[in-house]
Amino acid sequence: MTRPSRLQASAAAGALAALAASTTAQEALAPGPGAALTEAKCAICHEIGHVTRVRLSRPEWEETMRVMVQRGTPLTPDERTTITDYLVTYYGREAPSPGAQAASARVAAAEAADPVTLLLNRNACLGCHAIDRRVIGPAFREVAARYKVDAAAAPKLAQKIKDGGHGAWGQVPMPPNPGLSEADLKLLVDWVLAQH
Amino acid sequence: MKELNDLERAARSRRRAFLAQLAGLGALVVPGRTLAQTAPPPQDPTGTVPNAEVIAAKAPFFSVHSARPLTGSVPAEWHDFDVTPDDRMFVRNNLLTPSLDPGKHVLRVSGLVNKPLEIPLAELKKMPAFTTQSMLECAGSGRSAYEPRASGTPWPSTGGMGCPTWTGVSLADVLARAGVRAGAAHVAFSGEDFGVVPTAPKVIRSIPLAKAMERHTMIVWGMNGGDLPRVHGYPLRVVVPGWVGSASIKWLSGIDVLDAPFKGTFMDDSYRIPRTPVVPGGKMPADAVTTEAWPVKSIITMPGPGDRFKVAGRLVVRGSAWAGDHGIDRVDLSLDGGRTWAAARLGVRGDKYAWRRFIFEAPLNAPGELVIVARATDDKGNTQPQVSTWNPLGYFWNAMPRVGIVVDKA
Repeated sequence: MTRPSRLQASAAAGALAALAASTTAQEALAPGPGAALTEAKCAICHEIGHVTRVRLSRPEWEETMRVMVQRGTPLTPDERTTITDYLVTYYGREAPSPGAQAASARVAAAEAADPVTLLLNRNACLGCHAIDRRVIGPAFREVAARYKVDAAAAPKLAQKIKDGGHGAWGQVPMPPNPGLSEADLKLLVDWVLAQH
Repeated sequence: MKELNDLERAARSRRRAFLAQLAGLGALVVPGRTLAQTAPPPQDPTGTVPNAEVIAAKAPFFSVHSARPLTGSVPAEWHDFDVTPDDRMFVRNNLLTPSLDPGKHVLRVSGLVNKPLEIPLAELKKMPAFTTQSMLECAGSGRSAYEPRASGTPWPSTGGMGCPTWTGVSLADVLARAGVRAGAAHVAFSGEDFGVVPTAPKVIRSIPLAKAMERHTMIVWGMNGGDLPRVHGYPLRVVVPGWVGSASIKWLSGIDVLDAPFKGTFMDDSYRIPRTPVVPGGKMPADAVTTEAWPVKSIITMPGPGDRFKVAGRLVVRGSAWAGDHGIDRVDLSLDGGRTWAAARLGVRGDKYAWRRFIFEAPLNAPGELVIVARATDDKGNTQPQVSTWNPLGYFWNAMPRVGIVVDKA
């Protein structure tokens, strides 16, 4: 049995540790009345992710505030009211769930770490293509296989992605992507050709 | 959706390669943005150990769940050890990590005792010491698995635990030197850690006298043969084995013998659980009780999620099981998501509070995806549930662990 994932993770030791630290990176509080005060008070003891990752009802936020005062937060009664109201408004149960936020944060993280993912997501490539299966257009693997032996494949594919076209794989046209830079096109083409 | 999984997998493997390159370059630059854009962490207060130093000493797979206070852990698939190494042990601070001078460290024993004591560390170390392997697990370990999400540190479904060896003395021997008086019911511990604001109360927790007098409830200065690492309580801590980790106060300097449970925010606001189940999402009942021993639980330490095998190979599943104050009698394994089960072979029953290792082997006859599930049973007949009973603070997640693997054509 092999465990490539563990070996690679070991190789990436330093960078992973840095990433681990960055998972608790500060996210700003949503702007609104009381945001600055909330940040000022919570940030005495916590990174602001402690607040932004949760969604609580009013009774739950009130209970949290009660416990935080027990834990030593310096607060006047007015400040406590302002912060509680802010948290209930912007970090209430009705706001998008932390799960949904975490999912979009994961997507953002994957995009940040991987420019190809970013390009595929931003240009809706995956609406019509999948790696190993025909959706509307061909599978990326099929494309890679067809052009595997073609030395001039890269510029041809880049042109197709940029200008769009039809006929190569069927009659549904591929829309043009005129906004892609040469560098982006190269990233995408190299990636597609590597899928065989 | 298969294609998305493929895409994610591809992205992940590229990302790993990318990170490996970066590790070599010593720079963490990502196209379009840098991770350094995050706000600089505040200065580490005087007298504390910087988080960066703690994290650097941990395994590369240690993930930080919160920076202030520092919490973090290593997931189950990196815990394939009989004894948890220092770098895999979870971290759960309530305040900052103090930097203490062992030469000046004194343990005070007070309260309902005949003779209050002030024992310098060097003198304590002359008492009859022993080494034993014991479980420690954060009460909130696994919290993220609860639905709806309970408030508190978002512990992943595995990893908030460890079973190292501890070296020190029985708390009972120290209490015997002081002489416990009639009427004593609880023993409270306090440490030298402090918060950012002077108004932050000390972390003080108490345990019933019976548990305090149990031989394996220890005051320790050693972990895995060396000094306690600083984040794990150097130079002195309590180990209340099998119980919620918060009972095992780190940086121990005070023991107070009381006639009732200690009253304070770390007893009365946290670490509480309803006596009987409440509606998920509901409030903590007024008659909730403090958390004590962990219920039966297990982890699968090998293989890891998404590991790939070849048909005709042999699958080896390993893991660890534990049960608070009890021993482990049985672990069953399923390779089909829980439809059929077979008994795993158990390792030796080691020290009283050590986890028990298990192993299971099976041939891999067909390609596909397998879902491995483990189910431990303790010596009282308690078995792990499919899903743990929801509670407002998200403690005691002990559901059967599941790991999915892929078997490829030979």
